[in-house]
Parts: sequence; C-alpha cells; structure tokens
Amino acid sequence: MSLIKPSGRKGPVSGKAAGRRNDNNRIYGCPLPLIFWYPPPSRVRTLLGLGVLDEATRSVWVASKNDSTLLWRRGFFGKGDLSRSEPSWLARQINSRRAGGNRLTSEEMTAKRRAERKQFKIDRARAIAAVAAEAEAVFESEGRVVVPALSGPAIPSAATWKPAPVATEPPDTPVTPQDEAPEDEEPPEDLEHLQLTLPEAFFLLWNLDCLTVADPHTNDLLSIQQIWIAFQAAYLTPPIPVSPKPTPVLQLDNPFLINYIVYHHYRSLGWVVRGGVKFCVDYMLYKRGPVFNHAEFSVVVCPVYEDPADQEASVVGLHNAAPFPWSWLSTINRVNSQVYKTLILTYVTIPARSRVSLDVLNSPACLQHYSVREVTVRRFIPARMRD
Amino acid sequence: MDESLEQPDAKPPTVSLDGISPEDGDQASDDEGDVVLDWTKLLPSAARPVIPRRGEKEFEPQPGGGSGLQVHVLDRSRNAMFDALRATRTISSKAVSYAIWHPDMARAHVTLARGTLFTSLGHSAPRLVVAADGSKKYHKRLELLPEEALYLVERGTVFCWKETTLDLASVEGMEEVLGPPMSVQQAFSEMIGTEDLTLERYQVYAYLKRLGYVVTRATAPNSLYPMPPPFDLSPFKRKPPSILNRICSIFPLWISKISRMLNGGFNWWKPFRMSRWLLRDKNYGSVFRALRFIPAGHDIPLLPIKREPPAKPSPYQIFFNVHKPTTPYRKSAPCLPDYQIVVINARTTPMPTLRELTDLFDISPEMPPPLPRQRRPLKANTPPASDTKPDTKPAPKPAVKPAPSAPPPSLGRRIVNWIRPPPPGPTMMVRPPHPFMAIKAGKKTVIVAVVDAGSTSFFRFGQGAFSEWAVT
Repeated sequence: MSLIKPSGRKGPVSGKAAGRRNDNNRIYGCPLPLIFWYPPPSRVRTLLGLGVLDEATRSVWVASKNDSTLLWRRGFFGKGDLSRSEPSWLARQINSRRAGGNRLTSEEMTAKRRAERKQFKIDRARAIAAVAAEAEAVFESEGRVVVPALSGPAIPSAATWKPAPVATEPPDTPVTPQDEAPEDEEPPEDLEHLQLTLPEAFFLLWNLDCLTVADPHTNDLLSIQQIWIAFQAAYLTPPIPVSPKPTPVLQLDNPFLINYIVYHHYRSLGWVVRGGVKFCVDYMLYKRGPVFNHAEFSVVVCPVYEDPADQEASVVGLHNAAPFPWSWLSTINRVNSQVYKTLILTYVTIPARSRVSLDVLNSPACLQHYSVREVTVRRFIPARMRD
Repeated sequence: MDESLEQPDAKPPTVSLDGISPEDGDQASDDEGDVVLDWTKLLPSAARPVIPRRGEKEFEPQPGGGSGLQVHVLDRSRNAMFDALRATRTISSKAVSYAIWHPDMARAHVTLARGTLFTSLGHSAPRLVVAADGSKKYHKRLELLPEEALYLVERGTVFCWKETTLDLASVEGMEEVLGPPMSVQQAFSEMIGTEDLTLERYQVYAYLKRLGYVVTRATAPNSLYPMPPPFDLSPFKRKPPSILNRICSIFPLWISKISRMLNGGFNWWKPFRMSRWLLRDKNYGSVFRALRFIPAGHDIPLLPIKREPPAKPSPYQIFFNVHKPTTPYRKSAPCLPDYQIVVINARTTPMPTLRELTDLFDISPEMPPPLPRQRRPLKANTPPASDTKPDTKPAPKPAVKPAPSAPPPSLGRRIVNWIRPPPPGPTMMVRPPHPFMAIKAGKKTVIVAVVDAGSTSFFRFGQGAFSEWAVT
C-alpha cells in the first residue's frame, strides 16, 4: 500500500512578479516527484512519465508537456531541448508574438540583463574616455599631469548605473527567433521535449519508480533489467548507430556508472544536481533548486582505479582519471571562485578487476563496490590568514 | 611655453622648471612640489629602496597617442621602478649579525646575533670546541638551517662567511679571520640543495617569513632540532547530540533494520520502498535518508590497503610547520603549528592523487567545525577562546571546544527529557555551524604551496564531509 501518488495537475500559472518567492515556494515546493497523502488512502501508484531512450544523445526524451513540467517543478530534473533549463520554448514564442508578455522566461531575463550590461559598459567607456580627454587637454595646455580616474562620481559603476528610460529600444528586446507570422492567433504547437540525462532517468525510475522508458525502435516499454543494461551500453557504443548493433562487454569503469554514483550520492543528500559544463565542471549543487539559490558547489568527478593496471587495460576513455596538471586546477578554481562557487573534487573509486568479477555489472548491486569521497579545494592566501 | 612642453621628459624634476616663465612661478612650484613629493616617496633621503605601489590599469590607449599624457605617465612609473631597483642596498654595521656557513654540516653558525629576528630563527646545538688551553668542551651555539641563513643573508641582516679548510691562523694579519665572505649569489648557489632545501621551498619560506609567520621544518633535520608535540589524531568529538536527537536517530535505524530483515535483505532492483504502516517515513527527509546506500566518505578504507613501497617517495610530504604571527612562539619548546604546508614544483608534479591526499589527511589533525558568525555576544560561561578562535586552526584543543558537554543523564532523566524536552539551557546559545561553512572547511585540511617558476599559489584541500551535512 504505497502512499505515493504523483499528481498529474499543473500548478496554476502565477501572475505578477510581486509574490515571486511565494509562488516559487508553492510551485517548486516538492523536492521530488512524489506526493504524500494524509490520511493514507488506498494503494495508488501511477507511473508518472513516459520517456523514450535516445542513444545518440545518451538521453531520455519526455515528450508529454505535463510530464516534463512536473519533472522540472518537482526536483528540477532534465532540461528542455530548446531551452537553457526549464522547457520554456513555447512561452518564449507566445511572448515574442504578443510583444511584451506578462512574465519573462529566464532566457529572456538573461537576454535583457545582457543588453543592459552591454549598455552599461558602453556608457562607462564613454565616461572614462571623457575624463581621459579632459586630462589630455590639461596636459596639452598647462603641462599639468592629471592621472585620469577610472572610477569616481563622473564614471558610472555597476552599483550606480541605471538603464536609460527607453531611449534606445533595440537592446532591451529579447533576442529570440522571430516568426514572421504575427497575425495568427493560434498558439504555436509545442515542439519542445524534456531531455533527461541517463543518470537522471535512472535515478527517477530505479529509486522513485516514477518513469518508464520505451525502446526507440519498437516503442515497447523496457523492464528495469533491460534499462540497466541499455543505459550502460549507451556509453560503450559509438554514438553513430551501426548495423548490426554490437553488444558491448560491460565495463567497471563505465562513465554511466561513475556519473550515476555521483548523481545519486548528492541527490540522496538532498542537493539538486545539475550539469556544470558552463563552469568547466561536471555538476553543480543547488540547495533547493536553481529558482531559489545560486549553486553553492561545483563538482568535478575524478574516477580513481583501485588497481592502476585496470586503468592501463581500460577500453573506456574515462575523463579526469589522471590527476590534473596544476594549471588546469587553477583554471577551474579561478572560474568557479569568480562566481562564488566552491570547487569539490569528487573521487569515485572503481573496484579492481581482480577483486570483483564483471558479472556484478548485470545488476545495480555492483554499486556497493564503488565508493565516493569528496575533497574541497579553496585557495589559501597567507596574507589574509595572519589574523 | 607650449613648445617646451610639447615633448615632456619623463623625468619631471629635471624637466619642468626649465621652460617655465617667471610669471608661472606659483604654478611651477606647485608642480615641483608634487613631483618632488613623488620622488621622496620613492627614494627617501637614505636612498633606501621602496617598492612602488601598483597603479590602476589604463582603460585603453588614446587614438594616435593623444597629447602624450599616457606615455608620460607610463614612463614616469617605469623610471620610478628602475630607480627603486637601482638603489644601493645598505645595512648598518651596528645592526648586522655575523655567521659562518659550514658546508659539511649544512648549517650556519651565528657568531654574533643582533635583533629580534633570532627569537624565532635558528636552534641551539652543542658543539665540541677546543678552548685556548687545549681542553675540549661542548658549547651551545646558535645554528641556522640553510633556508634561515639564506633568508637572513638575502634580507641584509646577516653577513655570512664560509668556513675554510685553509689554516688562516698562520697567515699574518688573518688570525681573526675564519673564512672568505659570501656574496648573496654565492649563498644562493651553495645553500640551496643542502638539507632538502629546494629553490621552491626557499621561495615559500621567504614569502611566509616576510609576512611575519614563524616557519619551521615539519620533520626534524637532526635530533637537536626542537619539535612541537605530536598532533592528537583521534577523531574530534563533537558536542554530543541532544537526547531527543539521539533517540530519534536510533529508531529509524532499528525499524529499517527489522523491516529489511522481514523483506529479505536489500533488494538492489528495488532499493527504496515505503513501509506501508508507519507514518514516520512519509516525508521527503526520510525518502532521502533511505536513498543513502552508496558507500561514501573518507572513513571507508581506500583499497588496496596493502601496497608495495613505491619506487619513488611521493613529493607530497609536509615540509613546513607554520605559526601565525600572533601565536606566542617559544623557540626551545614550540607549540603546535597553525598550518602545515607541502611545497611542490608545479612544472614537474601533477596534482596529488587520492592516495596521496589520503595519506596526508591521515597525519593531519581533525578540526572542529567552524563556528557560526556571532550576531550577539555569548554569555560569560562560554569559554572566551571560542569567540576569537579562527575557523582554520588545525590544532583542536579541548580547552577551546565550542560548548562544555554535560555529563550523560540517567535513564529516567532521559525518558523525561524525551517526553518533555528540557528548556533551552545556556549551551543552546551556541548555534550549530552553518552547513555550507562546515562543508567548505572540511574536517581536515592540507595546504599545498604550488610553485610555478617562482610564482606561488597556495591551495587548501579539505577532507569533505558532505555526508554529515545533508541539506534536507
């Protein structure tokens, strides 16, 4: 008698930006796509979503709008294939047709902010050039050396600059592809689907049982056993399909296993885990989710072979299995400390072939042979640690 | 006048006055005043070198060079730098100390120590000396490690001679001389490479010394070298959790164990199932807790435990013990260091492997979690040390624990407490550390100084404790 009932209802669309935080708390209140009912009702357990495995992109596609909205709002799973994260392509289309939609999507907010930032930089450069020209003039006429200031009351800073009251309209409009069909009132068809990475999909279907995955060729639903093998195989076969399809030998150092372990580890600790390629890392950890807080930590996954001989014999080109050169660590750390994120090296040990046979890979029980350790990286600045 | 200023010289004091007409006298003296001030800033009367402050970067070059202002400002700064570098470095004969470098021992014997620097530098060593009457006696004398000697020579505090094998006593007029004097260059070339001192280690040493730290070796180069007491490597005891927490934390474990027994072990095809009758796990926190079944944390032994001794020892060895300038330091009986530092050459050494980090964590003491930022002063019964204790101090001492722990209450008391939680006592004033701060600090810290062809960056590697600070 399970008490979990994934609800199929969409939350109401919020109105103004005023009660934004309350709206977020309401819309994104559930950290997982599970709902608890009090008092316990009869046994209800429906499958939430249906996904289709796409081996070429190593992802699972969720086409239903309802499912993808729920997966995004309850735990921030997946990303829209035409959007930055939340599937918002349709909303952008509607906004651009109506010219000034009621609520901007996050992509449109970013575009607006970037346009403003660009304008600010232009204004600042102009102000600095004016001060410099003045100093040049003084030097030319009087021979007095006035070092032109790069900051001060005459020069706008990020804190003081305000966007001009709509003198230049163009930079403010969001940069979205404009369809030249303003006349049709028909809302456009939603062409977007939600993409789940394989670790995300496996987390949802294995632990929470709220996703099923269909075979892309036959459309038959796959069993959990089939999915487990298919997800591993997706990382072992070349992305371009060849016929006849070879059945690869499962490997202990499969990137799917490594990534899944890290993903599961942080999810189980309550973090919202999302991709971090923008910051040169594998994952970003958010405290409730991207709509609430900025990411606090950025995670680099570092696989470690228990037996170095396995690494030499490996047929899987695993990333970051060798220690970084210092220049690369400095690069990553510089990028991440610039955006106030702490870098975490997450080491996943890969069991030695001599210890564990490859047969364990036929079931998720193999995960008990791996282990996860974190090492935090921060700069140490002696000049500031003297007290 | 304009013509004369068309091509201004980059050296204002020689320039500006020549072409200035008398009626501009006021203006000129102002100018001169400014310029002279600049000069005095850079080269005071004693002609002691001062490193000029770095200025702000110019935004962009003027098209066509403008009126030459930018070139002028640049040249002025460059000349100031050259002047600062050109200045002769001098030391007063009244303040200088003297030492003799013994290459065979890799020690410098300080024959005359002046100044306060020696309160934290060098160590005393009894050496056999032959007195004038031929009797042999052990005399304690002050000896410097190569990095200490080199640092003092470089900063102009010590004048160093080199021990000679020649019998100078027989040479007339050389009776008092014990050897030839060493130049700074000679000191660098002779002292680096002795007693495990590399150029990278010396650069880190000198950098930390200039910041005022007390820097000593982490491994005694000989038995005479005073060492701090060993670290207490036992796991840090956190404040015992409240009774309610403890009882609550026992029950789910116990129940999940029983339910697991009834269900026939952990089903790896269905790792998470909700119990049907119990209401206790009908929340997200319990779901997350139930999902934590992948082995994690630094407590798990890192396999393989047995390994052959590597052909080459790891470069990741703690080399320096560092005391903060504010830490009271006694040379003869040093206290526990505030930091321990590994020095490596970035060009030849990649990042540490997990094994190397684990080995370093194993010999490092565990730190208490960082204290939360205090919003209001604590009550008087909390140790005052906890107020000022920095979060990075790696030497946990029992005296500075955040809260005094109460003795465990009796069973009856426990039950009463469980039913009716006790009122918040004075210990409740100590707020738990912020989870993010605790995670960022880690339980143990290893500091690595990465020297890349002379430029040093320090990294702190913390033993992560995510598993202990879940965010749900």
